[in-house]
Amino acid sequence: MKTSRKLMTLVLACLMVAGVLVGCGGSKGDTIKLGWMGSLTGEQAAYGICESQTLKMMVEEKNAQGGILGKQIELICYDTKGDAQEAVNVAKRLCAQDKVCAIIGPNASGQCIAIQSVLDQYKVPDLSTVATNEKVTVQDGKLKEYNFRVCFLDPQQGKIAGSFVYDELKFDKAAILYDINDDYAKGLKDNFIKVFTAKGGTIVAEEAYTGGDTDFTAQLTKIKEADPQIIFTPIFYQDFIMIHKQARTLGIELPMLGGDGCASQVLFDAADAVDGSYVINHVSLVDPAGDDFRKQYADKWNGAKMELNGYMAHDAFLLWCAAVEKAGKADPDAIAKAYCEVEVTGMAGKIKISATDHNPVGKSGCVEQIDGKNKTYKFITYIAAD
Amino acid sequence: MDLQYYLQQLVNGICLGGMYALMSVGYSLVYSIMSFSNFAHGGVIMVGAYVGFFALTALKVPFLVAFLLCGVGSGLLAVIIERLVYSPLRKRRAPSLYFIISAMGASIFLENFVIATIDGTPRNYPTLFSNSIKIGSLSLGLDSLLMIIVSAVSLFVLMIIIQKTKIGLAIRACSYNEKAGTLMGINSSLVIFVVFLMGGVLAGFAGMLYGMRFIVKPTIGQVTNKSFVAAVFGGLGSLPGAIVGSLLLGIMEIFVASINSSLRDLFVYALLILVLIIKPSGLMGKPVEDKA
Repeated sequence: MKTSRKLMTLVLACLMVAGVLVGCGGSKGDTIKLGWMGSLTGEQAAYGICESQTLKMMVEEKNAQGGILGKQIELICYDTKGDAQEAVNVAKRLCAQDKVCAIIGPNASGQCIAIQSVLDQYKVPDLSTVATNEKVTVQDGKLKEYNFRVCFLDPQQGKIAGSFVYDELKFDKAAILYDINDDYAKGLKDNFIKVFTAKGGTIVAEEAYTGGDTDFTAQLTKIKEADPQIIFTPIFYQDFIMIHKQARTLGIELPMLGGDGCASQVLFDAADAVDGSYVINHVSLVDPAGDDFRKQYADKWNGAKMELNGYMAHDAFLLWCAAVEKAGKADPDAIAKAYCEVEVTGMAGKIKISATDHNPVGKSGCVEQIDGKNKTYKFITYIAAD
Repeated sequence: MDLQYYLQQLVNGICLGGMYALMSVGYSLVYSIMSFSNFAHGGVIMVGAYVGFFALTALKVPFLVAFLLCGVGSGLLAVIIERLVYSPLRKRRAPSLYFIISAMGASIFLENFVIATIDGTPRNYPTLFSNSIKIGSLSLGLDSLLMIIVSAVSLFVLMIIIQKTKIGLAIRACSYNEKAGTLMGINSSLVIFVVFLMGGVLAGFAGMLYGMRFIVKPTIGQVTNKSFVAAVFGGLGSLPGAIVGSLLLGIMEIFVASINSSLRDLFVYALLILVLIIKPSGLMGKPVEDKA
């Protein structure tokens, strides 16, 4: 008995060592390593999965064409589980263990803000896809040296939302329902209120909930009482769906307006409830210019539908390629410098990163209406973000 | 803020409370016989929600069939958990703390089992009942109405079983004193089997109704924390107590949320602590101190 237990321990120890060795042995000679991190599980899994699949597809394509600087690209993807703490662990692993030359992702502001210290320590640049919070690139007036992004910012998104409701829909009474625990929601809400009230609109109800809540009937009944023309919901798609379902059963037939966190193909699972509502997005999901890209993605991944994140990951990858070529070497510092010097045309228009705040210049947002019957989006308008 | 507004909030509260009732009865049933809180109940509810989801989307069966499948699936699961996890402890006459720890373990196991085998992505039930009925300016969703009806009917059936049948008599006897019941010739294993089966079937119904109204994800078992609070509030071990406690908790929660939504959970858990300090037996429970 005793010997067999010892033997077992030995075998297990060997297996563990082997596991570590296998884990490290991923590098195949002389490659350029690109890291990606994001949610592959959890609430925002749909976003992260789409980002990583898009990158895998594009890296494969680029490698088939001969790679970059004559070398093959090696993409390393890790799951952050949508958790800021996990994002820090993953960033450390990418920088210290895998020694990547740059990171793309993660797909949420909270995680991007959390990994800053790791990026600064290892001097590896991160290019975020959809992190719209102001603090991702600049905090307390100080530029974060290694944080970049390819998307517009919350103040701009709040402005787009405010202008759209007041100028396009010509509504002057709006209600707000948001997650009080979420920085993204709060940022959007504040900026929406600023722009909307400056134009002459009134916020008739401002209701909050705590992330994880599933019953919104109390707040919705209050909102119904305040009689708004639209409900602004700067939240993520799962809550957006639940709020719609409950609003409809309470007899609230108002449209709602969600930010880019709501724009997901998953909305069509509840097509009847969300029909007629609007979402702000970085790029039109029904633009014919993206047809080839969507088809390529669907062919590669068993007919999977393209999420917004795929477009943004696409643009981030193009920018990274341009920066590596400009830098002439896969050196993290040189790539960070080159990010502000190159310009590419991606799915969401021209991308030129400003050296002063590491944000893209001259972006615009598009507003789309959900067509529940045909399970698609209807393009409404583009609104300049600046 | 007129009367209609308060009535609507009351309806919202009853809908929420009705769901808590369906969940909290499972806690009370097990507690009444085995004197421990079966925290694996949340996991059983979650699995029920998944069974219903896949029955509707993958097997494409009609609603009623899916609903019954949920009950069968969750009922079986509850019985399996009892046989695998609690039965060995029972044979060893382990203290109730061991049961509670095992129950928590089972609950975390179920959650992670679903994440590992299915995935962690939240899913949405297809819309089955999107209409709502209107009485004046009051609005009640068909899904909410269904939830109240199902809760009421299944709780009524449960009461009949417990009050009028032979096995119900055995359950009541064992809940009063298990040892004496066994001495009188009651097969306590059978009683425990039936109790877990009934609790599991109700958990399956609750899971499906929860999924239809809200969402399906591996962590929905955690919402049952509130139904546990409801069971304690009503008096653990008492079925009418669980139902009354749930309805009251649902209504109070909605009114607190309508004043300030961030006070909602604060209120619920403050209530739990207060009940345990002031009246541990709850509204209708047996006067027992050991309530965990």
